[in-house]
Amino acid sequence: MKTLLAEDDFASRKFMDKYLSQFGECDVTVDGEEAVDAFMMALEADDPYDLVCLDVMMPVLDGYQVLKAIRDIEAGNGTPKEDRVKIIMTTALNEERNVKMAFELGCEAYSGKPIDVEKFEQVLKKMKLI
Amino acid sequence: MAEEQNDKEEELLEEDAEKGKFMTFQTGKEFFGISISFVNEIIPMQPITKIPEVEDYIKGLINLRGKIIPVIDVRVRFRMEPVEYTDRTCIIVINVKSTVIGLIVERIAGVDTIQDEDIVPPPALGKRENEQSKYVYGLARTGDTVKLLLDPEKLIREEDIQAIEEIQDEEE
Amino acid sequence: MAEEFNTDGMLDMFLFESTQLLEKLEGIILEKQDAECFDDSDINEIFRIMHTIKGSSGIMLFENITKVAHKLEDVFYYLRESRPENVPHLELVQKVLAVSDFVNAEMDKIREGNKSDGDEKEIVADLDAFLKQLKGEIKEQGIKLPRENKHEEPTQFYIAPVASPDSLFYRIVIHYRNDTQMSNIRAYSATYALKEIAEDLLYSPEDIISNEESSEVILSEGFYMLLQTKNSKEDILALIDSVEAEKIDIDQITAEQFGKGLAEINHEPIMPEQPVQAAETPTAAPAAEVPQTDKSKPIAPGDYVVKSKETGKGKTLAKNQPKQQSIISVSIEKMDALMDLIGELVISEAVVLQNPDLKVPGLELSNFQKASGQLAKITTELQETIMSMRMMPLTNTFQKMRRIVFDVSRKLGKEIELEVIGENTEVDKNIIEHISDPLMHLVRNSVDHGIEENADDRVAAGKPAKGTITLEAKNEGGKVYISVKDDGKGLNKEKLYAKAKEKGLLGTKEITDFTENEIYRFITLPGFSTKEAVTEYSGRGVGMDVVVKNIQGIGGRLEITSQEGEGSEMTLIIPLTLAIVNGIVVKVGNSSFVIATSSVKQFVRLSQDAIVTEPSGEEYIILRGTYYPFIRLNKKYQIEDSQEDIENGIVVILEHEGKQICILIDSLVQEQEIVVKPIPPYIKKVRGLSGCTQLGDGSIALILDIAGLIEDEERS
Repeated sequence: MKTLLAEDDFASRKFMDKYLSQFGECDVTVDGEEAVDAFMMALEADDPYDLVCLDVMMPVLDGYQVLKAIRDIEAGNGTPKEDRVKIIMTTALNEERNVKMAFELGCEAYSGKPIDVEKFEQVLKKMKLI
Repeated sequence: MAEEQNDKEEELLEEDAEKGKFMTFQTGKEFFGISISFVNEIIPMQPITKIPEVEDYIKGLINLRGKIIPVIDVRVRFRMEPVEYTDRTCIIVINVKSTVIGLIVERIAGVDTIQDEDIVPPPALGKRENEQSKYVYGLARTGDTVKLLLDPEKLIREEDIQAIEEIQDEEE
Repeated sequence: MAEEFNTDGMLDMFLFESTQLLEKLEGIILEKQDAECFDDSDINEIFRIMHTIKGSSGIMLFENITKVAHKLEDVFYYLRESRPENVPHLELVQKVLAVSDFVNAEMDKIREGNKSDGDEKEIVADLDAFLKQLKGEIKEQGIKLPRENKHEEPTQFYIAPVASPDSLFYRIVIHYRNDTQMSNIRAYSATYALKEIAEDLLYSPEDIISNEESSEVILSEGFYMLLQTKNSKEDILALIDSVEAEKIDIDQITAEQFGKGLAEINHEPIMPEQPVQAAETPTAAPAAEVPQTDKSKPIAPGDYVVKSKETGKGKTLAKNQPKQQSIISVSIEKMDALMDLIGELVISEAVVLQNPDLKVPGLELSNFQKASGQLAKITTELQETIMSMRMMPLTNTFQKMRRIVFDVSRKLGKEIELEVIGENTEVDKNIIEHISDPLMHLVRNSVDHGIEENADDRVAAGKPAKGTITLEAKNEGGKVYISVKDDGKGLNKEKLYAKAKEKGLLGTKEITDFTENEIYRFITLPGFSTKEAVTEYSGRGVGMDVVVKNIQGIGGRLEITSQEGEGSEMTLIIPLTLAIVNGIVVKVGNSSFVIATSSVKQFVRLSQDAIVTEPSGEEYIILRGTYYPFIRLNKKYQIEDSQEDIENGIVVILEHEGKQICILIDSLVQEQEIVVKPIPPYIKKVRGLSGCTQLGDGSIALILDIAGLIEDEERS
């Protein structure tokens, strides 16, 4: 599993990087714009990510904007729904409206912070990533 | 739980500050004292609503800022001749184990500090017919008068027992 | 723990929605439990409910709930598609209830912040077996099986955060020096710095980056932030760049204040604390105004922090919807304190409005009167509101009883129908909490002991095979009556007596020494049980004595009536410790009494010859050919200075449960709503008085207990 992690908070980033690395390669970006760039670079190199984890509160582009950008790129490429990259939002903003919006924008999962790793893993399994 | 403990602690603290302090009042020739920890407040005489069919010393109910509490006449309670209420007549509102009651007394004397060691037990009851002796747990001399120290719990408790018995009578 | 979970909007929504669905489900089930089968709309509805719960629990990753709901959905899928006949309805009802119980139990765990770890295997297996049976039945009936119910796995998931230690909430106000350039950018960098530790952050003005004018607002009014974090004040201060800041105030606030959002909180005083960084030159207090956000604007990517919260509304989004029964719990003590304060207010109002100073002749008072009218209206409303806050209908309690009758009767193999009357009767919340258990006991008792073991015995006795239990609540004369009536075998006096005797509860008294009522009361004695074996349902180690004790604890009593062979009735009679009663205030001498308006039949002036005196001295009133017992209140209660002559007084005809009585009073004062208060327990119970109340002028009136008066009169 190849993962892209976008997270501006150092502590969270360190934790998630370590956690996700056990399942395979994990690239890390610290803001939203960089995340979109990384996603596109991987696409161009024909080595796309299997999973993208997005923090919401990030500089330049926030997580929702990144989510929307990725889905837009995929739509532009005509990627079928089942082949789209899996996206998990990771944020402490768990207000229902935020979650609904993220779901509508097309993320696969929305994880509150602090992250419940047990459930996180459960979701990875459900998405057949591990 | 925690709250309860807090309450207790507060009570203990309060008791500490109030230790040895007695509200004293005069009825007839005698002076009585009641530990200040039981005293909520002292209010002037109020209009009293009589309640029928109760003991003569229960004078009725007063409205203490929305709270309805019973008042008893201490003189009558002690089987002394009742006297007319005057403008010196006061009501001492006491709280004994959450029962709030007003005591009608002829005159407030003041607050005295009485140390535990200065309290002597009342003389062996012997033939004293005085009703009041039942509720007195000790005597203490302050200034030039002897104060009879009242045990408010007894003052209240006996009522409770009586009341419960009466309710039971009714049931049967 | 629960606190943290409340901050999780998604979890809240899930719990809230599922609870509502389950309540609806139970409603359908209990309504249709005795029907032959569910109708189409029920089946659809249950299918839909299960489908929704399955879906949302799937998203929330509560797999055990998902599996159970999934199975039940399957069952109802086949019912819906194939419409088979002869579905074992009762069995189905029990299956549905089992699922509902399971999901409820799991949700309780989640609500408490625990793991939802219930094992669903048994229920799933049970449902599977049922489903298999159902499918077989469908085939047998020659109906084509529909294609398998297709389940779509949820494709989106919500991972609830793990519970973490308590978060703290702060209000932060930064005032920048007047000459600060681009204060909006400085403010933004402050928010940015805080994001590192923020669990949630609101700020105002909010459009600090896009709107350059916001810098002026920040300079003139200060920059406000609300922060939720686990870090300390010092941590926060360290993060905020204080170069241009003139003053930074950080105050800890409560979660509640935080939830209200910025617009609200700026109006609220926060416990004054030393400013963390003292100002060199004190600035004027910031104006409380916060620019309003456009609430109708839909949220879009890029707007996450503040706009999703709607400044000023904060987290009320989910909470505006009716949430279960209790939204917040307030201790009864606080309510009582408020009640007392309002009592005080009413008195003060009277003191002001009836002040003798106003009686000076020639005063122009029309404005005063207008204002005082308004004041009076508000106090009345205030009083009514607090009252209504404490009152709750018995609906929920009765709903529980339905369930008990259902469960216990099935397990005992009895057919029983429950009739419910007056479930909307409102009772003080305090009392509801206390009667639930005793009532449950009485209901169980009726199902277990009341209704005959054998339906044949009932038929032989000329009764319908199906037993009936009637649960009734009514509010009468300041008391609430809740009765549990069955049409079962009734109580057998001889057996009761023999039993009590055998248990050594009676000493040497003969059966003839007891009245019927007294014998019935034996069942309330500690250590008495008419059944040899304590059954699972009525026994449980507590007896009727506990019921009686509990009821007495709240100043009520239990009445038992019975007719052997025809059934029994147990009635809880509970005072409304705090209730509004419409009452008529009357005077006897100097004493005021209140009579509940509902018990007054008539006021009449009568002449002396309406009184008939018996040789014993007892008096009666004859009015239009009817004899009424006559009580002179002044005589009964030794009231001086009152009307002795019937022609000067007023006779009131009172009625209670079909019995009538006349009393003599001096005069009528007025009719008004009164607040029933108990007579302080220090005073022993006085016959004929049920409580007291405070009148508008602060004086106290005693409330007449008509039932007591009649009873008293009958005794004498």
